[in-house]
Amino acid sequence: MFELGPIFRALLRQKVGAILIALQIALTLSIMVNAIFMMQQRSSQMARPSGLDEANLFYLSNTVFGQNYNHEAALADDLRLIRGIPGVVDATQINAIPLSGGGWSMGLQHKAGEGEDDIGVAVYMVDDHGINTLGLELIAGENFQLTDIEWRPAASVSWPARAIVSQAMAEALYPGAYQTALGKTVYINQNEAIQISGIVKTLQAPWNGWDGVERSMLVPFQMENRNGRYMIRTEPGRRDELMPIIEKALAESNKNRIIRNVTSLEDTREDSYRSHNALNKILLLVIVILTLITAFGIVGLAMFSINRRRRQIGTRRALGATQLQVMRYFMLENFLISTLGVTIGAIAAVGLNIWLVSKFELAPLQPQLLVFGVLALYLVGQLAVFYPARKAAAISPATATRSV
Amino acid sequence: MLLMKQLGKVFHTGEVSTHALREVDLEVQEGDFVSVTGPSGSGKTTFLNIAGLLEVASSGLFLLDGENVNQQTDSQRSKMRNQKIGFIFQSFNLIPELNLFDNVDVPLRYRGFDAKERKRRIEQQLELVGLASRMKHLPSQLSGGQQQRVAIARALATSPRFLLADEPTGNLDSQMAQSVMALLEDINRQGTTIIMVTHDHGLAQRAKRQILIKDGRVSELTAAMHETLHHEPLHIVSPVSAEHSAKVAGV
Ligand SMILES: Nc1ncnc2c1ncn2[C@@H]1O[C@H](COP(=O)(O)OP(=O)(O)O)[C@@H](O)[C@H]1O
Ligand SMILES: [Mg+2]
Repeated sequence: MFELGPIFRALLRQKVGAILIALQIALTLSIMVNAIFMMQQRSSQMARPSGLDEANLFYLSNTVFGQNYNHEAALADDLRLIRGIPGVVDATQINAIPLSGGGWSMGLQHKAGEGEDDIGVAVYMVDDHGINTLGLELIAGENFQLTDIEWRPAASVSWPARAIVSQAMAEALYPGAYQTALGKTVYINQNEAIQISGIVKTLQAPWNGWDGVERSMLVPFQMENRNGRYMIRTEPGRRDELMPIIEKALAESNKNRIIRNVTSLEDTREDSYRSHNALNKILLLVIVILTLITAFGIVGLAMFSINRRRRQIGTRRALGATQLQVMRYFMLENFLISTLGVTIGAIAAVGLNIWLVSKFELAPLQPQLLVFGVLALYLVGQLAVFYPARKAAAISPATATRSV
Repeated sequence: MLLMKQLGKVFHTGEVSTHALREVDLEVQEGDFVSVTGPSGSGKTTFLNIAGLLEVASSGLFLLDGENVNQQTDSQRSKMRNQKIGFIFQSFNLIPELNLFDNVDVPLRYRGFDAKERKRRIEQQLELVGLASRMKHLPSQLSGGQQQRVAIARALATSPRFLLADEPTGNLDSQMAQSVMALLEDINRQGTTIIMVTHDHGLAQRAKRQILIKDGRVSELTAAMHETLHHEPLHIVSPVSAEHSAKVAGV
């Protein structure tokens, strides 16, 4: 019933245009599939949770310029003031902001001493309010006690006795048995013992491009810092209202410093993934443009070949083809061209992906994505050829006797 | 089997209206062989196109096999063309990209025959026109006469009761024209009704019945009228038709 055989044989005699369009389809498929693949990679990176109650968090910098500034007393005053403001859930001083791109990293190792293997970890210095402020989920051990908190002078190089690590860090230290990390002593700064007193489910390091981004630890420090930062968690929905209030309250309470950079964690996330977002938009644009060019190419080739075959189409009509059968001819012809295109394209897509994977150490392409790309291009082809096919169907049967 | 009453066809091109056919009254019986002659631009092709359901009349009545064709949908007319009518064209109209087998196959596929039946009919028809050995050839590898034979095979493959030919020998030399005419006579003897437009007076005379179209009006030619026409040939060439035949020859 279908005319695939003769359509195919006719195509073989007029192959240049068809092959060019097939190659265009192939190119579009391979680029489309890999672009979507790259977009997915980025999107899944962006979808990783930071572990924080991001929606209700903001932070600010406290830049000290006064000469006789009592850091310890001022910090205690500030925290008391912030925590006392209605709508504030909790607040802590912190040395680094997750997602911000800037922070501290150290190595933890099982054995003390130089030259022992260590595992990189991001360090967050917080007090006993840290877990509650950030909104972390403690899954083993316990939070810091007030007595755990040590005062850390500006030039200090020593470390406190305890640390709370992220589950990923515990897993990195004790593969397959992260729970066993609890209570263990490891070494920081090569030979300072530090005991793991708790594990939180998730806490991302500040660097979203780091392959150890899930490895982090909290240490109970309050810091002397001429440019310190406070992290503040509000009740749901009250963050934006409280940001200026707290900024003002702090500024007025102590004139020997300035409060700057009041920033929500959501803005920080946005900044952090700005280039990811931009690149994804560019990739999407590339896909759309390529697909449109291919669609127009298909329309152009079909219109050209239909105009060239006007008399033939009239003759087919004279021989009894219905309008539907004429349309079907061109849709099937497009199906054949698309089949060649997606076959070449699928091979090219896999090839390109193998190269991308080896070059950038990515997970390989999912077969579903390739199937999606193939179906999408078949659909684009059929949609693109629909209008020319209708034009062909409208050619009068009298063209068989009239056209010269 | 074909009945036209007060049939008219008007073409509208911009503000110009061309009355290609006027008040045509005609009846063609089953098994007839009708030749149609007339000057260029007189409406012969229009008449044939309407008879073959390629065009629809502007006015009047047209019954084909008792069916009022004017009231049918495009799809019904397509099916009727496929089942009842075979077409032969002046420029053969073979599909250049398809070999002879696939060319004859075209109407059979629209008919929906299965592969075996199609093959049987294609081989039978190509055998009849003496081209069975060239099944895999392309039209361009054949002479004009051979191409027209393939076109006849294609027209007959669906076993139509009606064969319509618009100047089937117009692009052939006289020897080839003779052999195509002989083939058509043969086909007519087997019962197929034929209407053939021709410029060739000798061939027109060989039909069982001859009609003349002039200025869109159809009239019957008697033997006596024919004598005169024979000496005042139809092929007095007007500038329009000279251009026309030049174009055709160039194809
Ligand atoms: N599609 C059309 N549009 C406008 N005029 C047409 C069309 N087809 C034919 N005609 C006109 O109708 C008249 C009859 O044409 P036609 O039937 O082709 O004549 P013939 O076949 O006898 O040479 C001519 O004047 C021709 O110009
Ligand atoms: Mg004509």
